[in-house]
Amino acid sequence: MNDYRWSDLVMGMAAQFEVELTAEMMTCFAALSGDVNPLHLDDEFAKAAGFQSRVAFGLLTTSFYSRLVGVYLPGKCALLHGIDVEFKLPAYIGDRLTVSGEVVFLNDAYRRLELKARIRNQAGNVISKAAILAGVREP
Amino acid sequence: MDSALIIRDLEPIFADILDQSDLRLTPESSASNVEGWDSLAHINLIVAIEKRYKIKFALGELQDLKNLGEMVTLIQRKTAP
Repeated sequence: MNDYRWSDLVMGMAAQFEVELTAEMMTCFAALSGDVNPLHLDDEFAKAAGFQSRVAFGLLTTSFYSRLVGVYLPGKCALLHGIDVEFKLPAYIGDRLTVSGEVVFLNDAYRRLELKARIRNQAGNVISKAAILAGVREP
Repeated sequence: MDSALIIRDLEPIFADILDQSDLRLTPESSASNVEGWDSLAHINLIVAIEKRYKIKFALGELQDLKNLGEMVTLIQRKTAP
């Protein structure tokens, strides 16, 4: 886990990691969220709706932005203030996702950073983009 | 820029962040008399002002501000040629 302090952070600083979407993640997310919509749980239903298979929960993939902030940038001292996310393409079980973010604004007075973040699939296509606000606490 | 013009300029920014489409600001507006102006909204307002006027605030400059009028005075000082 990274542990950047406010004084370590500069504009343009970036981080990224990869994660594979699994069926287990889908099962766990359905259980914790209570979202049992068949588009996410039933392959046949999803195919009939025009998708290649069941579609990953948008907020499951969005949860990787939480990891980006809480583990990578800034890491241990992060306090998430907000995420504005826009979904561009569906994600599917087995997709290898690359989650990346870059510092685009730093507010010194309240020690809050803004990240421009993206999640791309293994083909390099953007599945979502996000504007993330996070405070950087004193340890 | 004239203080009244700055307040008019800030109104749509505050209205968006505080989610009040009919918000009207005065020099006496403050967190104590404007609905929704809580601590997190305050950070959002300060960041929006920094971006709008391309200025930076230090925490010490913000801590003693009592109302919007004092904020406008600070903006005028920081944007003065």
